[in-house]
Amino acid sequence: MPEEKDYGPFEVDQHITAHSRYYAGKIGSLFYTTLRDHKKFLGIKCETCDKIFWPPRGTCGRCFSQLSEADMVEIGPNGILETFTLVTYHEPVHPRKAPFIYGIIKLDGADTGMAHFIDEVAFEQLETGMRVRPVFEEERKANILDIKHFKPV
Amino acid sequence: MTREPFEQELVSIPMVVDVPYRFAAGKYMSRFLIELRDNGRFLGIRCPSCNRVQMPPRIVCAACHVKNTEWVELGQEGTLAGFTIMYLPLTDPTTGKPHKPPFTYGSVRLDGCDSVFDHFVNIEPDINKIWVGMRMKAVLRSKKQRTGDLSDIIYFEPIEGQDKVT
Amino acid sequence: MKRNVAIIGGGQTHHAARRHDVNQVEMVNEAVRAALLDARMTIDEIDAVLLGNMEFFEGTHMTDCWLVDGTGVYGKPGLKITTGGTVGATIVCAGAHHVASGLFDKVLCIGFEKQEEGDTGAILSGVAHPLYGRSMAGAALGYFAMMGTSYMATWGAKEEHSAMVAVKARQNARKNEYAHLKLDITIQDALNARMLAYPIRMLDMCPASNGACAMILADEKTAIDRCKKPVWIRAMDSAHNEQFELDWRDVTTTRPIFSKVSAARLYRKLGVKNPVEYFDVFEIYEPATWAELLWYEDLSICGPGEGFKLIEDGMTEIDGPIPVNPSGGVLSTNCIGASAMLRVWEAALQIRGDAGEHQVPKEVRRALTTAYGGTNWSVLIALSKSSDE
Repeated sequence: MPEEKDYGPFEVDQHITAHSRYYAGKIGSLFYTTLRDHKKFLGIKCETCDKIFWPPRGTCGRCFSQLSEADMVEIGPNGILETFTLVTYHEPVHPRKAPFIYGIIKLDGADTGMAHFIDEVAFEQLETGMRVRPVFEEERKANILDIKHFKPV
Repeated sequence: MTREPFEQELVSIPMVVDVPYRFAAGKYMSRFLIELRDNGRFLGIRCPSCNRVQMPPRIVCAACHVKNTEWVELGQEGTLAGFTIMYLPLTDPTTGKPHKPPFTYGSVRLDGCDSVFDHFVNIEPDINKIWVGMRMKAVLRSKKQRTGDLSDIIYFEPIEGQDKVT
Repeated sequence: MKRNVAIIGGGQTHHAARRHDVNQVEMVNEAVRAALLDARMTIDEIDAVLLGNMEFFEGTHMTDCWLVDGTGVYGKPGLKITTGGTVGATIVCAGAHHVASGLFDKVLCIGFEKQEEGDTGAILSGVAHPLYGRSMAGAALGYFAMMGTSYMATWGAKEEHSAMVAVKARQNARKNEYAHLKLDITIQDALNARMLAYPIRMLDMCPASNGACAMILADEKTAIDRCKKPVWIRAMDSAHNEQFELDWRDVTTTRPIFSKVSAARLYRKLGVKNPVEYFDVFEIYEPATWAELLWYEDLSICGPGEGFKLIEDGMTEIDGPIPVNPSGGVLSTNCIGASAMLRVWEAALQIRGDAGEHQVPKEVRRALTTAYGGTNWSVLIALSKSSDE
């Protein structure tokens, strides 16, 4: 065999494209159809912990009680802005182009927050504790982007 | 069991994730792919301990984990160790396009090599025309078209004039 | 083993092609609740939770993190393991190691796959070597198809033998309320099914299922105090294979391959001279019919090339002398992350006498389970009714 010469680095570019489809389950489905059809938010209450969670879920993580659609209660639609940030970098997966504001909103009645966009306000005017309300899309599809964003009340 | 008069709508959400990768071939594989691309030849490696010849060449022997250092040039002919005729349009993940069925592919053991490798077989997808033990030869793309990938081999073809040994 | 480890409870979901009524968390939770109920335990008593599934199959990462509500690991130590098709059994081994070490007494092991939610074809293509083999389409189907042609050419088996395995699996599954595919098929049905990749037809290959399995492993004191029918893990062995030589597909290979290596080692550990006499039932991991024949040979249930005669003679039927896969096997239910664990759980049910309609009609004291995963490697687990036999 001829002597080994320096063959140099050899690299290949490839990519993998994966398509998924997540099922929301009965509880999740009820949340999304209520959002789409009635512009209302549902949380879920754990009686043992006396807490109302968003997003609604089948088990209380803290006490492991089993929860069901019967435990769902209306929350919001308005809430309090708990925290926020200005996103200034691009990522293909983002549904909006930077710069955009993104925050955690604790809807009235819920004990946990929801992440969503904040708009129709200048970043400098935002304060934690501000009251905010949702702005809905005209055409809704039963997903979280049925809410366009939240804005100060 | 009675059906509910109103069946709940069950929501699902689609998502696509497209992830780019850049793979480095490493020392031994680089040499294999570059030799395939530039000189159209197959290089294997021989284990100093058990004499096993392995393709693709890699640093450690599959059977005894000893470092391989002896490179061996293999020919372009071999024997079919297994095959199948595929009827499903499976997608080539590197191009995202499906192969057109039915197509034949098999496992070929090159002369002088102990390992086998898979590739397409250019033969009518007829179970009576293909058999384990068939003699095959590799058909490569022209040098201009080769990129240093297994697809530089277009397919394996049966060597003419063979009859099935029954 | 530093300490003896027993399975003191378990549960599984009713495996199905579609589970639109639950999300991933809720599906896993079904199996977890069933296991806790079976063990008569609460989640608070569990010391650690180990979770396994196929990497990115559901389009979600770090399932140990985001399935917390359903797995019950909130506030507890836990791990996720992904080892391909073997993951269900790997989780059981990991659980056994946790308990045997003396650091944990009660460990919850979970395996699941909500296969309809992800792009299994695209992700599985990632198993193939990126520079040497990925573009060659074939996937698992092509691999087992080549195994079939190699087996028939080498030993003279016929397509009918594959059909016999398919019929046994599906008829057994009809007796298993949890199995996914319960099909009343005949040899002729199997031979007439749609050809996928010669010689594998539709009925010769496993389905894609949605489901979960959970088991609780415990130390000896807990097992004796709390469980009426503990099933003891007597030995485990696994043998990894290297990444290029997909050995099983060429049945003439003389390499010391994964299945034979780990079986030989496990038999040595337990002093097994004749596995057919030592074990009363086998639950093996067969993604396709031909793999079952190879397992018969690699486990030394019969000699090389004799696998097809074994099925022909009906030796491995549910009421035969060497029952293999009375549950219906992977051919009937394949939620990949759970499949290997289901082999262990089904074997445990046989030892407990709790397998219902698919209970083998003879005394079961000891069982052997196998798992199989991509790039070919195996995990073997031996279970027993007693902790020292």
